[in-house]
Amino acid sequence: MLEVEAVVRRFGDLTAVDGISFEIAPGETYGLLGPNGAGKTTTISMIAGLLAADSGAVRVLGEQMGPSRVAGKRHIGLVPQDLAIYPELKGRENMNFFGRLQGLGGKELATRVDEVLDLVGLTDRAGDPAKEYSGGMKRRLNIGIGLLHRPTLLILDEPTVGVDPQSRNAILESVEALSGEGMAVLYTTHYMEEAERLCDRIGIVDSGQLQAEGTRDELIRLIGGLDRVRLDGSGDLAAAADALGGLAAVEQVDADRTGLSLAVRDAPTAVAELVTRATAAGVTLADVEITRPNLEQVFLHLTGKALRD
Amino acid sequence: MRQLWVMTTSDLRQRIRDKSVIIFSLIVPLALMFVFNLVFGGTDEIELEPVTVAVSAPADDEVAGTLVEAITGTGVIDVTVEQMSAGTARTAVADGEVNLAMIVPDGFGQDVLSGTGGALEFVEGDTSGLETGVVIVVSQSVLDAYAAGTVAATAGGGLGLNPEELGRVAQEAATAGPTIDTVAGQTSDEQLGPGASLVAGQAGLFLTFTVGFGVLGLIAERQEGTLARLQSMPMRPGLIVLAKALTGFILGVVATSVLLTLGGLFFDVSFGPLALVGLLILSVVTAITSLTFIVVRLARTAEQAGIIQSILAMVLGISGGAFFPVSASGALARVLDLNPIAAFTRGLGITSGGGGLADLAAPIAIMLGFAVVMLVVARLIPDRGVSR
Ligand SMILES: Nc1ncnc2c1ncn2[C@@H]1O[C@H](COP(=O)(O)OP(=O)(O)OP(=O)(O)O)[C@@H](O)[C@H]1O
Ligand SMILES: [Mg+2]
Repeated sequence: MLEVEAVVRRFGDLTAVDGISFEIAPGETYGLLGPNGAGKTTTISMIAGLLAADSGAVRVLGEQMGPSRVAGKRHIGLVPQDLAIYPELKGRENMNFFGRLQGLGGKELATRVDEVLDLVGLTDRAGDPAKEYSGGMKRRLNIGIGLLHRPTLLILDEPTVGVDPQSRNAILESVEALSGEGMAVLYTTHYMEEAERLCDRIGIVDSGQLQAEGTRDELIRLIGGLDRVRLDGSGDLAAAADALGGLAAVEQVDADRTGLSLAVRDAPTAVAELVTRATAAGVTLADVEITRPNLEQVFLHLTGKALRD
Repeated sequence: MRQLWVMTTSDLRQRIRDKSVIIFSLIVPLALMFVFNLVFGGTDEIELEPVTVAVSAPADDEVAGTLVEAITGTGVIDVTVEQMSAGTARTAVADGEVNLAMIVPDGFGQDVLSGTGGALEFVEGDTSGLETGVVIVVSQSVLDAYAAGTVAATAGGGLGLNPEELGRVAQEAATAGPTIDTVAGQTSDEQLGPGASLVAGQAGLFLTFTVGFGVLGLIAERQEGTLARLQSMPMRPGLIVLAKALTGFILGVVATSVLLTLGGLFFDVSFGPLALVGLLILSVVTAITSLTFIVVRLARTAEQAGIIQSILAMVLGISGGAFFPVSASGALARVLDLNPIAAFTRGLGITSGGGGLADLAAPIAIMLGFAVVMLVVARLIPDRGVSR
């Protein structure tokens, strides 16, 4: 439903976005993960038709996007990185205002505003000016406004920046709920945990380019990443190490005084087998721990730098 | 069309709520009319009520001292000053115990004297009004005088004056008063008397600021992030700028009408038939609104827009006779004649002198012609602002 084709955007000498292409299927949640200045917001601005691309094209449900294109914009809900709300207006007035610009009106608007206020948990505070809201409440209002017209594609640009853990969790939960209802979501972040938790597929951006793309597991496989499994226990550890070393999923086993350390492919699937074999070999297990390589390491591998500095 | 109206009404509602428009477009110009009228000796039928000002200032701040002397010594308005801490001053305003609080931050005087700026804070309350407006205007002009002084001193720095002498020069420049000799009471070629031309000129001067609230709103939205969301709405992008211009236009028409009406009442002058005056107001506001399309293209930040706005206001206002009648001859006179605010003042002269619609043809043509030229020029300027 979203097709981004080799978009390029320059600001003077700087090429902020340098030929990014990707697609989002209906109902899919797609994450753009990248550090500050990677070009996420610039990409999103071209997708939402705020900025003209120097070259390349964006289509939403087949409609070309661009600053003077109107049709495609009906299908998208943009939640900008900066709080896009009017502090002098009440929460409900903010929603009414943007709802009207989206073409809603009358009873339909009133009902929908109530629904969304409820969804983002602002019903009690709807009558207060937005300037009196806490940071987390402002963020939630910011997101709610993007949902009013039930967009086919919801675009969230770093919606959890500067938010306390509790509000952040509430935001992530509502994104999960929306995607559960079939809304396609484009989510940018520089928090790897958020991308891992929410996104069906992730694109890793750096210096205006898409460095890699895929599901979390695909990305990790890309760098040949193996999961680590730690089996703490006592008994015949050497025999257990031999037994486990023969398994196809296991790449490496090391025994020490308190247990075994293994490098394993797809640990969540393999772990039951590991435990059974180790027990059969005469080890009494005290603890099992799986550590999976994360996108942070993928990022480091692809770009030679850390996601956050 | 519906979206244009939705944006305009929402803007108007916000501008009214944040009160800045009311203060800068109505209270300050009214206050200025009084100050000028009293300085140049006009009718003083309106009694200004005494006001109490809470002042919070560091004890040894020289500039703060001068400010207090200036506001208590206007001879125009009876000002009582109560010194207190900043916190108490704020509470006192909120509780209505004083009409205005002036809060001078630490190091303010030094900042002003060294020319590095310094921000003075005024807190207005429910009991603020015309009188507190006068106090603010007077303080502002004292600070402007200091700023002029430090500019003189900085220039002196290049000539090798030592710091003490510089301080003295700054002090002298500040106390020397305006360098422009004002000519009071001399009417221009049209029939407006001094009081009326003051009202018309001030209304014209502040019109630039009032209409500017529209554009400033747009630039503020760009900085704050709401513009991105507006641009993602299913509507033509030109509507956004148009809505801001319309907001400025409506504010301009309302403020100018109120200023002419109140100013006319206070100074006991009549500007002539309502319909003709209305026509002049619509024309001058159209002309000034057209300028905002240029500001939008030039300014990247709200500060820049504010500066461009002030320059335009001063140039158009002064050459339009906002402070004193300007007369010139030859080519300069013809250039000055093209100033829409001057044309507006002339038009009011014609209506107040009993002229009819036909007599207004020239000033109205100038104002509308100005608008057309500005809109064309705006199209030619590359857009480094809103639509990027
Ligand atoms: N309007 C602009 N003018 C000039 N340069 C810009 C503009 N907008 C973005 N840039 C530059 O383009 C590059 C990409 O910026 P962008 O905002 O897209 O990054 P981002 O990935 O969203 O970063 P962040 O995580 O900090 O939001 C940066 O180097 C930025 O300075
Ligand atoms: Mg960004």
